[in-house]
Amino acid sequence: MKYAKWTVLTLIALIVFGFFHYTLPQHDIVRVVNTYQERQDLSDWTRIFWSSPDDQSTGLINRDVQFIQAVRPNGKPMVYRNEDTGWSWPPYFKFDTANLQTEAEDLKSTGADPQWVSVTHYGWRNELFSAFPNAVAIKPVDGPDATIIPWFNIFLFVFLAFVILMLRRMWLQFRERTIDPVLEDVGEAWEDVDRRADEAADRARGGWGRIKAWLGTWRGRPRR
Amino acid sequence: MIAFVRLAVFGFIAMTVMYVLLSIYSRSVERERLEKEWDAGDGAGGDEAARDAYIEAGMRDYERSLRRKLIWLVYVIPTLAVLLLIYLTNY
Repeated sequence: MKYAKWTVLTLIALIVFGFFHYTLPQHDIVRVVNTYQERQDLSDWTRIFWSSPDDQSTGLINRDVQFIQAVRPNGKPMVYRNEDTGWSWPPYFKFDTANLQTEAEDLKSTGADPQWVSVTHYGWRNELFSAFPNAVAIKPVDGPDATIIPWFNIFLFVFLAFVILMLRRMWLQFRERTIDPVLEDVGEAWEDVDRRADEAADRARGGWGRIKAWLGTWRGRPRR
Repeated sequence: MIAFVRLAVFGFIAMTVMYVLLSIYSRSVERERLEKEWDAGDGAGGDEAARDAYIEAGMRDYERSLRRKLIWLVYVIPTLAVLLLIYLTNY
């Protein structure tokens, strides 16, 4: 039972962590080497790793997607997709895919003369499922170890903590002012019933009890 | 357009739920404050009708107060946040 509890809790924690890790923006420092566009089949379950940039896109079984190829400071490759998120989930409200592709094209550089850029993105790269993180913004940085402070994520978690504390306070207030008085009433009513039963028992002891005690005096002592 | 309508509708529902909950909470806190204020003052232990009248008058003041109106920010802030996000992401 203990193991079941911990398994469930671990699973929930993993799902919550995974949700935030997939959805929240992250910054990669990379060097853009190329951009391309490729037709993608979208008719199986890996559809969840692609966006729905507009209304008809949910019905399409394939469409063209733009990609940005990049190399990380450690020399390993990274490929981003570049898709509108539109008004759908996750709520990035990205509509400037074509502009972003142009910026990425403009920032292309070679290993000999590198131009490092910070790519803001969400999502995961997974070779097995052909999943790509979606690039949201791109901007030049000084070098491969430029520091980027995730202001948005800091703000979001502070705000979430505030909302959770507020909901807790609202619940406590509701319990103190609305639920507890009702419970007290029920408790008092119950005590009332209890008290009356006791009184009745006392009265019975008063009349009938006395007779029983008198009768008892006629009985013989219990034999040993 | 359907995605936009969906966002607007569900956003509106979420904001309305938040607005109602916050209104109830804020009113409850105000009533509790008024009750404690009366119980701590000179009228404490006095007659119940005066206490009720005091609290009702306080609640009427609250309904016209700034704090009551600030709860409308529940609708304003998320809308501004979305506009800000659109601006930051695309421009």
